[in-house]
Amino acid sequence: MTSTTHNDVVAKGVPSRGTLGRHNLSVAIPLLPVMIFLGFFFFFPMAMVFIDSFKSNQGHWSLINMTTILNNPYRMAFINSIKLGLVSAITASIPGAFIAYVIERKGSQSLRRIITSLSGVLANTGGVPLAFMFVAAFGAEGSAVMILKKLGWNIYASHFTLFSFTGIVVVYLYFQIPLMIIVFSPAIHGIRKEWRDASENLGARPIQFWRFVGLPLLLPSFAASFLLLFASAFAAYATARAMTVGNIALVPLQIGNLVDGNVQVNQANAGKALAVGMVVISAIAMIPYLVIQRRARRWQS
Amino acid sequence: MKRKSLLLPVTLISCIIFIALPFGSATEFSFRDGGKTKHSLAAYRWILAQEDFLHYLGVSLRLALGAVLITLIIMVPTVAWLHLKAQRYRPLMEFLTLLPLVVPVVALSIGAQSALPEALQSSEYELSFMYVVLAMPYTYRALDIGMSAIPLKTITEAARGLGASWIKAITYVIAPVIRNAVIGSLFLTLALSLGEFTLTSLLHWDTFPTWVTSVSQQNIIGAIALSVFSLAAAFFLLFAIGLVTMRSKSDAMEGHK
Repeated sequence: MTSTTHNDVVAKGVPSRGTLGRHNLSVAIPLLPVMIFLGFFFFFPMAMVFIDSFKSNQGHWSLINMTTILNNPYRMAFINSIKLGLVSAITASIPGAFIAYVIERKGSQSLRRIITSLSGVLANTGGVPLAFMFVAAFGAEGSAVMILKKLGWNIYASHFTLFSFTGIVVVYLYFQIPLMIIVFSPAIHGIRKEWRDASENLGARPIQFWRFVGLPLLLPSFAASFLLLFASAFAAYATARAMTVGNIALVPLQIGNLVDGNVQVNQANAGKALAVGMVVISAIAMIPYLVIQRRARRWQS
Repeated sequence: MKRKSLLLPVTLISCIIFIALPFGSATEFSFRDGGKTKHSLAAYRWILAQEDFLHYLGVSLRLALGAVLITLIIMVPTVAWLHLKAQRYRPLMEFLTLLPLVVPVVALSIGAQSALPEALQSSEYELSFMYVVLAMPYTYRALDIGMSAIPLKTITEAARGLGASWIKAITYVIAPVIRNAVIGSLFLTLALSLGEFTLTSLLHWDTFPTWVTSVSQQNIIGAIALSVFSLAAAFFLLFAIGLVTMRSKSDAMEGHK
């Protein structure tokens, strides 16, 4: 698919070379509305955040916000958020990849459709409702807790609480595993039966197929999905906000507090510096993700 | 061989248990009367008695429809144009529309709050515009993939070559073939807008999801019942749309025969 369109571009470029410049510009005019829209609602606000984060609250150029966010409590929040991103990505990517594999390989067409739809809802709109559902299941009065108590296991006897790091990781699984299934399934789908047959005909055992063909093909997509999951858990706000009562310092929650004005006024621009910090960390994960996905799409389609 | 055939059922059953745990618990919990073991419809009656329930549902729907409308007006023609006449700009547009995915929503919220003009920020419809930005990586991809799957350029040129005016070509050729891609992308926008929490709450507006969170502070059972309601509604909406797009797909197939 991609190669066809690429050829189209190349082929079209040749005859009109003489008028290339003028031709280019007039063709781009209908693209202006989207460009202006993105510029106004996305690039301009983000540029303002970057600029303001390097200004003191009196409006002078300064690195004071950067030093503020590198010290506690913000340093701790960054460490917590990065840890949350990593733990969540590890705990969700492995079962997610396994489920995606089983469904893609063994499931029927309609089962695959249902799983994709379910995953779509959970991954995109699940956040806040899921948090409250977990309170219903694992809160002090929760149904699951009461059933376990009847079976003789009071999970609240030891120091368990849903509103903890572990609790957040568990709840995040509910949108992270579906997200993994969505982004990783195309990679498994892309491994063609012919390749398997070919390696079998050449005398490869299944383990050799996986060692030399399957895993090398899947590994980049797995790494990419892992990065996406990291970024998703690192930046998640809604679920954490609905679940924690401020007992765990996470960067998104602290930005939320600063925006809500729950702290001293002299830190107005610290929130923007925190935002810049988040963008940087998120970009470190998301840019490789996008690059790998782009390359993988060549053989997946 | 035997083990292999068990793999799918075992995986499915684990998934079902995994999903049923919070959903089942929440449903059971939402029928509890005052947090005790007696069950009743009290929580749901309480919801229906809240004037805010319909009010915020209405606000969310209005803003989501606004976002859908903006997507329809600016995204659909742009992607169609990219495929018809401006192929060489596709990589650039793909790159630009993917960028909102790189920036955490929390960070964009701060930017919107400090950079958008006051006049716009005093209207709740600023959210519709911002929802379009958040949905753009998905809507662009959905439209792009949908339009790549059909020879849009060729059939449009064929229609024009046979003497159709641009208006006729758009109504009778372009619109019908891109319909599924358009419905898909609009649904994505709708779903994302209806469930959006982060940006809405950080820009200090109240919609259905943020209202549910504020309800939880006075009536946790009410909030849980609302959560059951909103996820059930999301699934229902999704399957309804799935049916519609499937039917129109089979219509299109029959049309070819």
